Amino acid sequence: MRRVAARLSGLRRVSRVVGGRVIESVAVVGALASLVFVALRVLPGDPARLVLGDAAGPADLARVRAALHLDEPLLAQYVRFLRGLSRLDLGDSLRRPGTSAMARVGEALGPTAELALVAVMMGAVAGVLAAVAASGPWLGTRARAWIDRGLIVAAASPLVAFAPVVTWVLAVRVRVVPLPGDPDAGASGLFFASGLLAIPLAAHVGRIARAALTDIGQATFLTVASAKGAPPLRVWVVHALPAVVGPIVTVVATQLGALLGGAVVLERMFERWGLGTLILEAYATRDLPVLEGAVVAAGLLFVGAQALGAAVHVAIDPRARGDR
Amino acid sequence: MRRARWLDLAPLVVVVVAGGVGLMLAGAPAARLEPARAWCAPSSARPLGCGEAGVDLLAVVSSAALHAVALAVTVSLGSFAIGTPLGVAAALARGRFERIVERACDLVQAFPTFMLALAVLSAVRVPSRVHIGAVFALTAWAPFARLALAQTRVLRGAAFVEAAVALGRGRLGVLVRHVLPNVLSVVAVQLGSTGAAIVVSEAALAFVGLGPRDGVSLGGVLDQGVAAMLRAPHVLVVGAVAVFATSVAMLTAGRGLVSRQRWR
Repeated sequence: MRRVAARLSGLRRVSRVVGGRVIESVAVVGALASLVFVALRVLPGDPARLVLGDAAGPADLARVRAALHLDEPLLAQYVRFLRGLSRLDLGDSLRRPGTSAMARVGEALGPTAELALVAVMMGAVAGVLAAVAASGPWLGTRARAWIDRGLIVAAASPLVAFAPVVTWVLAVRVRVVPLPGDPDAGASGLFFASGLLAIPLAAHVGRIARAALTDIGQATFLTVASAKGAPPLRVWVVHALPAVVGPIVTVVATQLGALLGGAVVLERMFERWGLGTLILEAYATRDLPVLEGAVVAAGLLFVGAQALGAAVHVAIDPRARGDR
Repeated sequence: MRRARWLDLAPLVVVVVAGGVGLMLAGAPAARLEPARAWCAPSSARPLGCGEAGVDLLAVVSSAALHAVALAVTVSLGSFAIGTPLGVAAALARGRFERIVERACDLVQAFPTFMLALAVLSAVRVPSRVHIGAVFALTAWAPFARLALAQTRVLRGAAFVEAAVALGRGRLGVLVRHVLPNVLSVVAVQLGSTGAAIVVSEAALAFVGLGPRDGVSLGGVLDQGVAAMLRAPHVLVVGAVAVFATSVAMLTAGRGLVSRQRWR
């Protein structure tokens, strides 16, 4: 009975943490959306002219203004925008009348989420493996120092610089991965793109996990585990790793924004369909509803993943629940 | 410390000098096109080869690297000048103002900044360097404010600050003599990483097609390189090395600033 009660109170704490996160997430998405709204509507320049170009006649301009509700007062536009946002309905795409902007965004969200998810998993696993290898007793001092150096170099290497070079080497010289733009790239294309995206993430995870493992390396509970006869692998993976989940989840969460930006770059480079490609297309054709929808969706994806990270942290590490 | 300080600033100096020398060697404006030489390999007349429509890569890369350094230095110094006083003021004011600034920093730092830049830049027809810099400044102040806030919070309770107050120094005197020097040396760490991030983001924006009007950007070179990956791989390598060198130069220069502060 007492165990059930303890379980419930734990759940309550988890839900309180998650609830706080939800409020924060709504604030982030709302602020992001408002900033985009302000940028498109308030900055000097007529959005209708941006959409149609300079050669447009007054009748066309009036039509676009009506479609975007630009003829209403700014405050009314903002209220309409927020109301649409809460129902996830930002009007029809300007370039494909009849298709709602959010439907187009929804189509594009899948491939990007897939790319980012695979990248997060690869990056987290690779980073943790590197950190454990550099902390455990298996490798010599010199090899461990090289892992540390490799992590620093990888963390300082910009994706936009190394991704094209790695792709050129692997796709053109060695021919083990499909060329950029290959429509039949399939799974190997996805894994290669995710792998590139995972490299900076793995480096950050590796550095943070390494520092955290060094911190707890001398902890008594690890000595006890060794003394009771646990092999080093068990000591590091079963006993040490769960204790450093917090910093790892935090660093993954802080790298998510960069990951989404990297996804845009890679989607453009590999000509993959996704949120980034959609944003660039909407940018090129000034499809404002789609652009707003895509940025809001990116924000949702981002805060959703952060909230998920916080929940995972709380679920794994009882210290994170805290009594607040 | 003294040796480290000069070594740390060296890469940035090398990048800037190489950019200047490259411009002089090329002798022609970066935008000059020679379609007959399109995608030609490096030669004695064109040390880095040519890109799309025969642009001289040496001229483009030198000019783009100098522009990127100028943009990064301007924006990171500007964000430093906005963020640091804000953070210090927030920590000294305490109470609600402090909490609001802290939450605002959280919020801004949590933004997917690259997406934000894409969306905001779509409000202008063709982005100029001023627009691009402004978009970066929109979010770049936050880490400075956050660091300044955290450091001032530590300092406001420090014994030596208390001692200075007890000895009768005025508020302004304590601020200028004891708080600011210690805040600045910590916040300056951020200058390098913000600068490097701006170099990389500018290249990434140009790579996906949101480059400055004249097309002179490191990201533009990379974009050409990817398009001509099979015909002219040298373009891609030149672009990648330039982005890497410029961003690492900014990073290490930031470290140089810190060691200089401590050395004094």
